Amino acid sequence: MKIGITTTVPIEVLYAAGYQVVDLNNIFISSKDYLRYIEIAERDGFPKSLCAWIKGIYGACIENNIKEVVGVIEGDCSNTKALVEVLKSKGIKIYPFSYPTKHTLDEVKKSIDDFINQFNVSKQEVERVRNKLNIGRKLAKEIDRLTVEFKATGFENHLYQISLSDFNGDVDGFINILKQKVEEIKNRKPKVKKLKLAYIGVPPMTGDLYDFVEGFDAQIIYNEVQREFAFPRFDMVKDIYEQYYYYTYPYSLQYRLEEIKKQLKERDIDGVIHYTQAFCYRAIDDIIIKSQLEVPVLNIEGDKLNCLDARTKIRIEAFLDMLKDLKGD
Amino acid sequence: MIKLRILGIDLGSRFVKVALMENGKIVEKFKVSTVKFYKEYCRYEKKLLVDFKRLGIDKFDVGVSTGYGRNNVDIENFKIINELKAHAYGAIYQTGLKNFILLDVGGQDVKVIRVEKGILTDLELNDKCAASCGRFLENMAKILEVSLDELSSFYENPVELNSTCAVFSESELIGKIAEGVPFERLCAGVNFSLYNRLRPLLTKFKGRTLLLSGGVAKNKALLEYLKRDYDEVKVLDNPEYNGAFGCCFYAIKSKGGLK
Repeated sequence: MKIGITTTVPIEVLYAAGYQVVDLNNIFISSKDYLRYIEIAERDGFPKSLCAWIKGIYGACIENNIKEVVGVIEGDCSNTKALVEVLKSKGIKIYPFSYPTKHTLDEVKKSIDDFINQFNVSKQEVERVRNKLNIGRKLAKEIDRLTVEFKATGFENHLYQISLSDFNGDVDGFINILKQKVEEIKNRKPKVKKLKLAYIGVPPMTGDLYDFVEGFDAQIIYNEVQREFAFPRFDMVKDIYEQYYYYTYPYSLQYRLEEIKKQLKERDIDGVIHYTQAFCYRAIDDIIIKSQLEVPVLNIEGDKLNCLDARTKIRIEAFLDMLKDLKGD
Repeated sequence: MIKLRILGIDLGSRFVKVALMENGKIVEKFKVSTVKFYKEYCRYEKKLLVDFKRLGIDKFDVGVSTGYGRNNVDIENFKIINELKAHAYGAIYQTGLKNFILLDVGGQDVKVIRVEKGILTDLELNDKCAASCGRFLENMAKILEVSLDELSSFYENPVELNSTCAVFSESELIGKIAEGVPFERLCAGVNFSLYNRLRPLLTKFKGRTLLLSGGVAKNKALLEYLKRDYDEVKVLDNPEYNGAFGCCFYAIKSKGGLK
């Protein structure tokens, strides 16, 4: 039985309950029909001036005949809340999940316990699944490390970490894919680039960004949210509660920034690309992000298209060009 | 500080601006009309060979050029940088600011750039039309038989000029002269139509302070109009030489000297 998710949720619970988890974002963005998914949503009344992800998720859900969905009603955007209401009205069964506004371990525990109860699974079973998923998380962490060594590309770093939001709907199969990938990447010669870039913000609609920057002697070696989706601190937490407590993405910007700053320093980042989605409230975050990060930040925006527009390309090129001057030879 | 003599050349559509930097300071600057520059001081042999002696420059260590069209600015032994970057460096050098919006209005093109933390993060360029540039002002001044300086001093009560084309604007202006519209309003109308064409380029560049460079930065009326959109509009000390200064400053920056 398939269950759709609209963002990262405790999938340990869903796999423990015997579901095949499907991240609707991944179906949407990896489909050649992605524009049609948006079109379906707009025909059903979703506004033109709305985040393309929300519309894409809706279209993907309807078109792929997903009957059950976990709706994140706290800790994600308010558009998701309204999306969940529309899906409910279409007869889709919704399981609500909340990332508590009050970011304490106690509140996170309450929320996860509530989620566990909805699916009628045991805590032991959930922990057993968590341990299994950790095999995949360890491999994803290795890919992240290999990216810093310039062996894995920015896109691979993005793809293999983001895919852990649902393990591609097949835990064993995906762990195998990761194993093979790690072996392949390990044996590569590093392609060292002059500029080390960080990508922060929601995953891009424009996946060609990664290859594009690599054409300018630069590489993205840190993907903020994708890395969070892969739960890099899996080996430092003692249970599922702590795992989702130390997850940064759904909590305050300040909490996210603490981790970002740490990573920028550790990875010796030269410049940051902050991606925001058209019509998303997170574009406002850019004010704080720019004021708090010491390295230069370029804010780019994506809307419906899955490739960079000419203007954004010129902006990125100019940004990288000057970053290179700063770095010297 | 690096003790270098750096020559910066900005090859514009109307003038070639030359600046010489020594020990991080501009020690000399001058401009030559573009046509004269190519005709009297250059030869072309796959690259542009410049007769620097004739130009009055005896010796320099590093040359950096910028301007319109890669081939036109490819001077032998010079490093070419793009105009946007040259202007970013120029404005950083002239103001010491690291965060700003700069509007550069030259003879035939307009650019707007945003610089944050000393790095270019956004830009906008005009289309192929020169109706929002210096060349337009020159043509209109000729028709009104007035100097550029005098033309630029009128900004109140502008007569409406609607043409989107620089050439059609001329006949529209002549029509207004025939209608007996006062001279001051005609001048203001020319300035206002320039501002009106610049406005769409600035919509993505909201901010508190706007820096202004390029030959058209001397236009007082434009300054008055832009003050409506920004708390502060600062004309760079040497607006025309911003690109040339930027070339010099780039040489220092890229050497890591003033990092």
